[in-house]
Amino acid sequence: MSKQQVRDKVSTILFAMLSVCLLLLVWQLAVSGTTLGKMFPKPIPVFQKFVESLTVPIGQYTLVQHAVFSLYRVFVGFVSGAVVGVILGIAMGRIPVIDAIVKPIFNLIRPIPGVAWIPMAILWFGIGETTKYFIIFMGGFANVLLNTYAGARDVDKQLIGAAQMLGANRRQIFVHIVLPASVPYIFAGLQVSLSTSWMAVLAAEMVCAQEGVGYLITGGMNSGNTTQILVGMLAIGLIGLILATLMRYAEKRLCSWKIRGN
Amino acid sequence: MENTRKLENDCVVRCDHIGKIFGEFETSHEVVKDINLNIKENEFVVIFGPGQCGKTTLLNLMAGLEQTTSGEVNVNGKPVTAPGPERGMVYQTTALFPWLTVMGNVEFGLKMAGVKKSKRRERAQYYIDLVGLKGFEKSYPVKLSGGMCQRVGIARAYCNDPSVILMDEPFGHLDAQTRYLMEEEIERICSTEKRTVVFVTNNIEEAIYLADRIILLTNCPATVKKEYVVDLPRPRSYVSPEFLELRELITSEMDEMDL
Repeated sequence: MSKQQVRDKVSTILFAMLSVCLLLLVWQLAVSGTTLGKMFPKPIPVFQKFVESLTVPIGQYTLVQHAVFSLYRVFVGFVSGAVVGVILGIAMGRIPVIDAIVKPIFNLIRPIPGVAWIPMAILWFGIGETTKYFIIFMGGFANVLLNTYAGARDVDKQLIGAAQMLGANRRQIFVHIVLPASVPYIFAGLQVSLSTSWMAVLAAEMVCAQEGVGYLITGGMNSGNTTQILVGMLAIGLIGLILATLMRYAEKRLCSWKIRGN
Repeated sequence: MENTRKLENDCVVRCDHIGKIFGEFETSHEVVKDINLNIKENEFVVIFGPGQCGKTTLLNLMAGLEQTTSGEVNVNGKPVTAPGPERGMVYQTTALFPWLTVMGNVEFGLKMAGVKKSKRRERAQYYIDLVGLKGFEKSYPVKLSGGMCQRVGIARAYCNDPSVILMDEPFGHLDAQTRYLMEEEIERICSTEKRTVVFVTNNIEEAIYLADRIILLTNCPATVKKEYVVDLPRPRSYVSPEFLELRELITSEMDEMDL
């Protein structure tokens, strides 16, 4: 890193800290100076509660355990959605017959948000884990499918021709041209899908769960505990941020060939 | 049997009354019309003609990327019906695989043919060095300049050892200075590693500088207007009297065509 880059990085971090401090200050002033304080906790107790609940359980579990419950559900729903989305997307993008059969059905189902499946899912699967996996799956897989489909369909024909001229057969063209050309699109889909999956798990937990961060905020609502609600929201925000960052890092590693400069 | 036939004809590429019509009935568009062409081994043939005349289509027919609507293209005595590794292609847009490094691109053909890694690496390295890209083996195309990308494209075609290399206006997108440089590079590469080359261009200097034989095409539909055998000594000078004389001759022929 050059001197200029170090200076840029340091000033970015300083400004970030400054803006967070400013937000906390406004929060503190607004809550202590006005009647808002009756419905909204002060920042310090929220952070105290946040740190405390890492070890002291809320309901049956600690905050970390709640987060693990939610993450596990997202993991199952998201991964199954991603696998189905990628496979179906590539099949639709490359095989016209499958495209013609699946696309009309898909276009009907796609505009229905994942959460709209909650009532039906509860009737089908009860209020167990399957329901949550299903809701997350429905919330996430459409984005992966759509992006993968676009990537697989629009592979540069000239590159396919170039590979043929170098002696690649159909299978080799699929493995060495179509798949790598689709990877950036697949990642764009996974990125969006992960955030919608994270939203879907909260919705699922708010309706039917005794654990998870979604349960934390509805639990807080039911008992009038605004501090607990804010602790839950804070956890949701932090986990979402971490997931998105991990995803971007993976993308950067796998799609390094698209990045100009050093 | 195969061998004797090749010797008889003494040519690698034979175009036998080939034609290409796009579309059908009223909307049809004739692009290539009744072209006969024999290209000998290690000959550098330049296909030269006005813009949009059908040069690239003619090359695509030889490549097998397009199918002829009449006549037949033969390479090594076998009819061309599909793209295949005995013909190498260098594209104007380079058509490099962006997710592969320089090494990955150059060794691609050998990898597809199942050549062992150590062997194909060694061979690819030879051609990377030949085109002057030593030290860039691990770079991705996005980080290379236009001229360097085109060198990779040339190395990729050479490395697969095709019977004929087809070059489709490879320097069309480069700036004038890089273009001169690349023409000299092609001259150097071809004198080191003799190959049969069919080179499409609309630049007359490029044509005379590189060609053993220039095929001048007419406006669309493309037919062979005239052939020039260029036997000036190599490497050629862009400003020698013979060069300028030939340039004037071909230019006047083209002007006549426009009228």
